[in-house]
Amino acid sequence: MRQVRAITVNTFRETIRDRVLAVIVVFALIMIVGGLWLGSISLGEQGRMMKDFGLAAVTGFGLIVAVFIAAGLVHKEVEKRTVFVLFSKPVSRGAFIAGKFLGLCGTMAVVLAGMGLFLFALVGVLDGRVSGMVLVATAMIYVQLLTVMAVTIFFSTLGSAILASVLGICVFVAGQLSQNVLQLTRLGKNPITEALSWVVYVIIPNLSAVDVKAGVVGEQTLAWGQIALWTAYLFAYMVVVLVLAAVVFRRKEF
Amino acid sequence: MSRDVVAVKDLHKTVAVGFRRRRVQILKGVNLTVAANEVFGLLGPNGAGKTTTVKVLLGLMRPTSGSVELGVEGLGHVGYLPENPYFYDYLSGREFLGFCARLFGEDAVTRRERVEALLEDVSLLDAADTHLRKYSKGMLQRIGIAQALINDPELVLLDEPMTGLDPIGRVEVKRIIQKLHERGKTVLFNSHILSDVHELCSRIAIMRDGRVIWTGSVDEALAEGETLEQFFVRAVQA
Repeated sequence: MRQVRAITVNTFRETIRDRVLAVIVVFALIMIVGGLWLGSISLGEQGRMMKDFGLAAVTGFGLIVAVFIAAGLVHKEVEKRTVFVLFSKPVSRGAFIAGKFLGLCGTMAVVLAGMGLFLFALVGVLDGRVSGMVLVATAMIYVQLLTVMAVTIFFSTLGSAILASVLGICVFVAGQLSQNVLQLTRLGKNPITEALSWVVYVIIPNLSAVDVKAGVVGEQTLAWGQIALWTAYLFAYMVVVLVLAAVVFRRKEF
Repeated sequence: MSRDVVAVKDLHKTVAVGFRRRRVQILKGVNLTVAANEVFGLLGPNGAGKTTTVKVLLGLMRPTSGSVELGVEGLGHVGYLPENPYFYDYLSGREFLGFCARLFGEDAVTRRERVEALLEDVSLLDAADTHLRKYSKGMLQRIGIAQALINDPELVLLDEPMTGLDPIGRVEVKRIIQKLHERGKTVLFNSHILSDVHELCSRIAIMRDGRVIWTGSVDEALAEGETLEQFFVRAVQA
């Protein structure tokens, strides 16, 4: 446990100080402000546009941070041979994976809190009243991105950082669509495509189930009980994927 | 008779390389013992298998066959400096050593004392709060030695510890190795700098092509050649 904590703190320090991260966050904030301009040309829907565009920017830039840092996190340690220093000490491979993931969870929390609070303040100024739903939506984006991070870390133990990044993004996109695809194939009544989409639905984390952006902009009523269950499912999914990553990583030689 | 801290018996290591997973035998039956409180030099040309032997000792690689035994209670009593070490860019020297100490579960007071003492030992107190990405190669080598000693290990494995050091840095590292010997520690190091080996080691082993081809004391080697360098060249070319 001590080793996990040490690696967590170290990973958080290392990633939060990375200049690339600061550049991405600044760019994300500029994009969120860009939502003001979109709002101004949207005929009375300025607040709604701001929330919509802002949350999309938080998701997009959060995804960039999650995937690219998670993909490089394990790979960089192997490539630059810092693993020699770590694993020549009494550090288990499982503790390494857990510490890396938790450290990155901390970094993502700071990044998303920064972007979410900025959007919250901007929407508050624009609407003249505060909307806590923006923060709730940001928290749910955080859960989605943690899942993508866990999957990307798993892929990075199997192959290169680039491959892990690409697969991480693919899982994010597929996770947004898997539920809809399953429903569509059920309409088609073809047992093979239905079975295939069911397999994909089971393997790929259902990220759209915790997406509350539509609820924030008032397009959909949210079922909070179901969202809580799906959140628990995603956390269980992360644990399984990280255990698999630790098993793969334990077999590696350096 | 002193106990063996390192015992390697008939160690073989084969790895698969390239797209077609061609099998290459790196170690072809290494036999080696290092006694407690020895400063032992592992010599050999590039590709002889020195680093691989050390990696197997540390569990970074698994042996294909043969055995390795460490006469210490696990990795908690071992220190290791890899060749051409690279550390975390955005951590300061002090933070990095603190992190290494945490991995051994040291309490905050011991951790702080140990980190400060080591920073002084490797002459990095002035640069302790500078990020490691701004360190020179020699400074990285010295912080690497400090992290290898953070747990006050009984066995210290140093892979090319003099690489990248200026003459003053080399003197400092030699002083550290001598101090470790005086404190009863066992040191095994790989080096190409034979004058340092001559100065520091009580015994040496020469590796070539995945095997140990000669083991003995420095005096025994000097009895067979005018200088250690001459003896080494003759041994690896034989």
